[in-house]
Amino acid sequence: MLNVETDLTERPGQTTENSIWYDAWSRLKRNKLAIASMAFLVILSGICALAAWITPYPYDLQDLETGAASPTLKHLLGTDILGRDLLTRLLYGGQISLLVGLCATMVSLIIGVPYGMLSGYCGGKIDALMMRIVDILYTLPFTILVIILMVVFGRNFLLLFAAIGAVEWLTMARIIRGDVLAVKEQTFIKAAVVLGLSRPRIIFRHIMPNVLGTIIVYTTLTIPKVMLLEAFLSFLGLGVQPPMSSWGLLIRDGAEVMESHPWLLIFPGIIFSITLFALNRLGDGLRDALDPRFNKT
Amino acid sequence: MKPGIFISLLTAATCLTALVLNGCTNRETPVSIGNREQILHRGIGAEPKDLDPHMVTGVTEFNIILGLLEGLVSQNPKDLSPIPGVAESWEEATNGLSYVFHLRKNAKWSNGDPVTAHDFIFSFKRCLSPKLGAPYAYMLYCLKNAEAYNKSTVTDFSQVGAKAVDDYTLTLDLASPTPYLLGLLGHHSWFPVHPPTLKKFGEEQPDSKWTKPTNFVGNGPFNLKTWDPDKQIIIEKSTNYWDREVVRLKEIHFYPIGDHKAEERSFRAGQLHVTETMPLDRVMFYRKHKPEFLRLDPYMGTYYYLLNVTRPPLDNVKVRQALAMAINRKNLTSYVTKGGETIALFFTPPDAAGYTCKSGFKEDVVMARNFLAEAGFPEGKDFPKIQLLYNTSDAHVRIAEAIQQMWKMNLNIDVELINMEWKVYIAATDALKYDIARAGWIGDYVDPNSFLDMWITGRGNNRTGWSNKEYDRLLAEAANEMDNNIRHDLFQKAEQILMAEMPIIPLYFYRSKHLINPSVQGWDPNILDIHPYKFVYLKP
Repeated sequence: MLNVETDLTERPGQTTENSIWYDAWSRLKRNKLAIASMAFLVILSGICALAAWITPYPYDLQDLETGAASPTLKHLLGTDILGRDLLTRLLYGGQISLLVGLCATMVSLIIGVPYGMLSGYCGGKIDALMMRIVDILYTLPFTILVIILMVVFGRNFLLLFAAIGAVEWLTMARIIRGDVLAVKEQTFIKAAVVLGLSRPRIIFRHIMPNVLGTIIVYTTLTIPKVMLLEAFLSFLGLGVQPPMSSWGLLIRDGAEVMESHPWLLIFPGIIFSITLFALNRLGDGLRDALDPRFNKT
Repeated sequence: MKPGIFISLLTAATCLTALVLNGCTNRETPVSIGNREQILHRGIGAEPKDLDPHMVTGVTEFNIILGLLEGLVSQNPKDLSPIPGVAESWEEATNGLSYVFHLRKNAKWSNGDPVTAHDFIFSFKRCLSPKLGAPYAYMLYCLKNAEAYNKSTVTDFSQVGAKAVDDYTLTLDLASPTPYLLGLLGHHSWFPVHPPTLKKFGEEQPDSKWTKPTNFVGNGPFNLKTWDPDKQIIIEKSTNYWDREVVRLKEIHFYPIGDHKAEERSFRAGQLHVTETMPLDRVMFYRKHKPEFLRLDPYMGTYYYLLNVTRPPLDNVKVRQALAMAINRKNLTSYVTKGGETIALFFTPPDAAGYTCKSGFKEDVVMARNFLAEAGFPEGKDFPKIQLLYNTSDAHVRIAEAIQQMWKMNLNIDVELINMEWKVYIAATDALKYDIARAGWIGDYVDPNSFLDMWITGRGNNRTGWSNKEYDRLLAEAANEMDNNIRHDLFQKAEQILMAEMPIIPLYFYRSKHLINPSVQGWDPNILDIHPYKFVYLKP
């Protein structure tokens, strides 16, 4: 505590923030499961990103004569119907899935968080108007929206991120707005207003940390949702195209042949579930760590 | 949840599971009941759109209609040769341009009315009527003036070459000799419909209610009993059918199970005698463990790729040939499709009514590379990225991926895969908005003409932009030729041109895939995969 106090006296503006992150980190460190999850995600992302150097096979190298073979030393997780190494495909698929998950979630954060905050903080007519816009956008059928985007901009992988993010921000904005509505009625915000702080400063310095928990938890829930959406779009021919793959596609293909070649479903399924589990654990840990209401004790 | 509630729920769940399991193991399966009672259970793959023989286009619908209606001539299930249907006998004029059919006097509709020549004339007229817009009206175009009548340039049906001389004599006058006419008559577009019923429910109305179970009047060996949409259709043995002594099945139950895997599970659970098809990855399993259930028969159809010859680089015949030659079809059929398909190095399936193409191409990677170099792309250098379009389906993806890889390895060219939903895919290929597209063709009747006349300039299914005057001339000549040997020579020449020009890349010839219970008898393999139910019975 002493440390924080001294910081405060020296450079007030910056240190308050530092202390938030510092406290959060020290709280997070105590949560073993969250740390393990984080480590797992970092390692997994690293392995997927370095797939090209890790596996000796290209992701589209076929060996028709081998076909679907169960795991061996040569192919640690076996091969798929066209004789392609499953481990390789999992790693390359992970690149796509994690990238789509992260980017689309980022897009939804970048749009959704400021939108929801502004709407919640301003209240009144502005709030009503902004929320009605969200309502209207909600009514647009997702698939048709994506198809229209694809028709207008052509088949583009980046567009897929944008399209998914552009749809996911709606829920994000709503949840944030609800939280802001609750926070802004509290006395410390009133105090900030009385002190004459600028509106952006109140929103980002004083309200944001209080809704950070919600944002983070919802983010960790959005990532898996987006990964599943990507699989769905790829199946419709709007997302990743074969021979490229993603986890969602691998699982779908595996489910097709689960009776004869179960490993094609089991391995992608395991990786996908563990990743989702880790994301959720990490999100949970982060929420506990970042919530200023669990104050510095 | 309180532990008490939890335990009671658990107990309830256990009891229920036990009950269900018990029920499953002890109950007699529909198949074994069916074997005893002569009730055939058949999967038909999809919910039929309609049962109107003039309006339907699918195999699903045909498989039901085959039990409900009978044409002038039927097909022997063993060799597809014509056998008497409603017509007892027939004579062909020496010039091949007219036929006389003598109808049997004991043929009756399911309500007891006699089946007369006038009924057939009524049906042909209906099928050709421009107002009805029957999708298969062109199957009747071999009749004199039929095409003109269908296109409203002739409005008087008496000018069309089909006449009832009296109640039991029918003459057909043809526009050109059609040696496969008797085979055509087995197609559902030639089947009769009951005029009074049709008049009652609207004869030229596409969605008329006459096909509802209580309204349906047919002349086939079976009657429509019930139709529960998306559940089952039951047809029962007719008491008015002229050949009812031969019919042994009492009922046939059709199940529209669209999911191949669900259908296969139903089959394993003893709920189906015959399936519509089967999942590809189960073929190996059945071949190894239960070969007695597996039926893979040659089927008169070809799986091929369309090439858009209006777009570079596919406008260059060398490029087209290179692509065709660089595919290892043997690998494709043995490791990807795995259904015992035969590889296709020409377009018409072998032995289509005694015709087998003699001038196919050869697979030759070295030559393919040379051709590609001659076309200006040595070692695939500077070859533009082209797209391979397929309609959304697992089987098509796998094949496309395998071929993409073969072209990459053998020719060093990159192909991008694009999938589309069926209707969008049809629109895209129709509008020639593609580079390469997957396609399949099943013969409508057993004659090479069914495979070759679609490539005539401007035909609806020639979705490649390809046109060849000599080819058109050969096909036109064949259409007017009586002598089968000369016709076949003309077809040989035409197919040689087709394969040299290569607007399409044949990949393999289809096989029909069914799971079939060994108790089903009289289910003879034939290349049209049609199985007249009057010859089918069950041996417990």
